[in-house]
This record gives sequence, structure tokens and C-alpha cells, in this order.
Amino acid sequence: MFVCLLHRLKTCQTRILTVFPCEPPHRGDYSATWSLQEWLQLLDSLTALFRLAVVNNISDEVLSQLSDVSSSQAEVVLSVLRAREEEIRCALLDRTNSISSATLQDFDWQLKLALSSDKISSLHTPLLSLSLDVRENGALRPVTLEMNRDELGMLISSLESANKVVLQLK
Amino acid sequence: MRFRFCGDLDCPDWVLAEISTLAKISSVKMKLLCAQVLKDLLGEGIDYEKVGKLTADAKFESGDIKASVAVLSFIFSSAAKHDVDSESLSSELQQLGLPKEHTTGLCKSYEDKHVALREKLRETSLRLGRLDSVSWRVDYILSSSELREVNQPVIQLKLQRQGAESGAPETTVVSVSADKFRVLLAELKQAQVLMNSLQ
Repeated sequence: MFVCLLHRLKTCQTRILTVFPCEPPHRGDYSATWSLQEWLQLLDSLTALFRLAVVNNISDEVLSQLSDVSSSQAEVVLSVLRAREEEIRCALLDRTNSISSATLQDFDWQLKLALSSDKISSLHTPLLSLSLDVRENGALRPVTLEMNRDELGMLISSLESANKVVLQLK
Repeated sequence: MRFRFCGDLDCPDWVLAEISTLAKISSVKMKLLCAQVLKDLLGEGIDYEKVGKLTADAKFESGDIKASVAVLSFIFSSAAKHDVDSESLSSELQQLGLPKEHTTGLCKSYEDKHVALREKLRETSLRLGRLDSVSWRVDYILSSSELREVNQPVIQLKLQRQGAESGAPETTVVSVSADKFRVLLAELKQAQVLMNSLQ
């Protein structure tokens, strides 16, 4: 089934392949070519094929799997796979990291000078706000920290010692 | 009349009233009382039994004891808040009717603890999400169900902080990929350089 669907894949439609693993392609763009069922099957098959290829690191062998498709079709699939292999690998790495733990998606920081407070009229203390976007079960959760000079120093020296270990691994 | 130790405002009426209460105890006892109040302000705790004994001679009732501790607390914390030097404080308290010997004792105690008091006020100023502690662990992932060969380090971080609203301790555990970790550390260092250049 997959093969016969692929036969209808034209070179100009390679966009369908190139968007994995970001946003899935829109069915509307291809409704003239495939029925809904065919479309879903094609998406599933291609996703599985690409994952298999990257997981097992055998992109060249994919060609043989596609041997019953015409060589130009297989070439299209393979060229897309080669071009995006690294990207798919990164996406799978991200998924690996997020297995059973929350992951850091993004972070932002802000340096500010606290001028005055209800306790003391001239505070003049620099503070660093660190905002972490933590992805947990698919949902983003913001975590905000506020550090003075000493606390930032503590955080950095702690991360520094972790970084030493990471560098030794390379 | 405006007073520097009140932040260039009028002296509150209750402070004015209780200054005459303070004048009833001897200047020596008053100095000892100041030491107790300062201990309280610096977070070392006040010995109420001692305070009771100090004020026993003057036949203070519990209301008078509370009032004198409150007025001394106000004078010390307000003067430290507005960074008033002990000489100015001395002249302002005398203007308010506190006897000279009492004033001298109070201002001597204040002068001794001025820096510590300001540091304490700075420390206890409002903070949102103060960082308490950091724990980390570096893992090396060999393989996973998503990818057969991973061979990448990943850093597990546990951050303990005080919740922004509740102030209760909150713990965040997050895993960070090696690339993101490097960027995070580099940016934090950049921020630290900026922060250090502020002083």
C-alpha cells in the first residue's frame, strides 16, 4: 500500500517529507492526490521509515527497502532523509532526554538593580532573575529564580564543576 | 517638625508618648534594654525574662514593657532604614525629650550595631524566588528506546528556591542537554561579569 501511494509522489511534493519532525504537513495541500486514509497511512509509513533509518543509523539500507518503488521516487525519499538526518537525530535525542524527566526548553535572564525597599531606603543590590521554561509532560512550566551576587556565584561554581565532568567526557 | 530618623516625616505620636516611658528607667538599665532589642532586630532573639528584670525597678507593667521595647525597635530600625548617623539621632531624640544620658547610651548601642543592622535589613528585604541550593548529577546516556546509539551526556539539576508568592521552599528538577547546559553556563557568567561591574 505504502509503495503504491509513494508511486504517486511527485518530486515537487517533497515538502511533505521535509517537515518531519517539526509541524506535520497540512492535509489540505495534498487532498487532491490522496484520500484521508491514504494520507494517514503515508504519513505513518514515512515517519516510521525515517525513524527506523535514523535509529539504526542505516540510511543507505533504506534504498533497498524501497527497491520496489521506482528509483526516482526512492531517490527523493533518500535525498530528503540525508538532508534531514541530523535534524531527526536531534529530535530523537530531545525525546530521549525527556524520558521520565522534565527538560529545560529555554531560559531568559534579567539583571536588575534593586534600589529601595520597605525595610531599607537605599538597597542598591544587583539581582539576577533567571526564568527557566521547563517542559514537563508536554506542558511548559515557568520557574523563576532571583539571585544576588553570592547566590549567583554559588550557582555558577556548582554548574562549573558539572561542566568539568561534561568536558572530560568529550 | 520633621526628623531624619523618621524618614524626614513627623515623629509618630505613639513614639513621642513612649519616649517619656523610657525616661522612667535608669540610663544604665536602658542601655541593657537597648542591647536586648538590638539582638531581637538582628534575629538573635530577645530574652523577655531579662527585659522583665531590667524594668522591675521602675515598676513597669507589661504594657509599659511592650511599649518600651516597641519604641526602641522603631527608633533603631527606622534610623538604620534611613541610614542616620548616631550624632544626628542623638540630637533628634533629645529634641523629642529623651534625657541626655539615656540618649548617649542608646546612640552608643546604635553606633555599634549600625552596620550589622543595615546588613540585616538588606537581607530581609523582599525577594521573589530566592535560590537556596543547587544539586547536580551528570549522566551519560548510552541508548534509549527512541535512539539506539545516544552516547550523550545529560545534566540533572535540582534547584531549591523559595516560592515567589508563598515563600515556602519549592524544588525543581530538570534535565538539561549538554549543549543547552553550556549555553546556560556561558550566559550566567556573562551576567555575573555585568553584575560585578556594578560595584
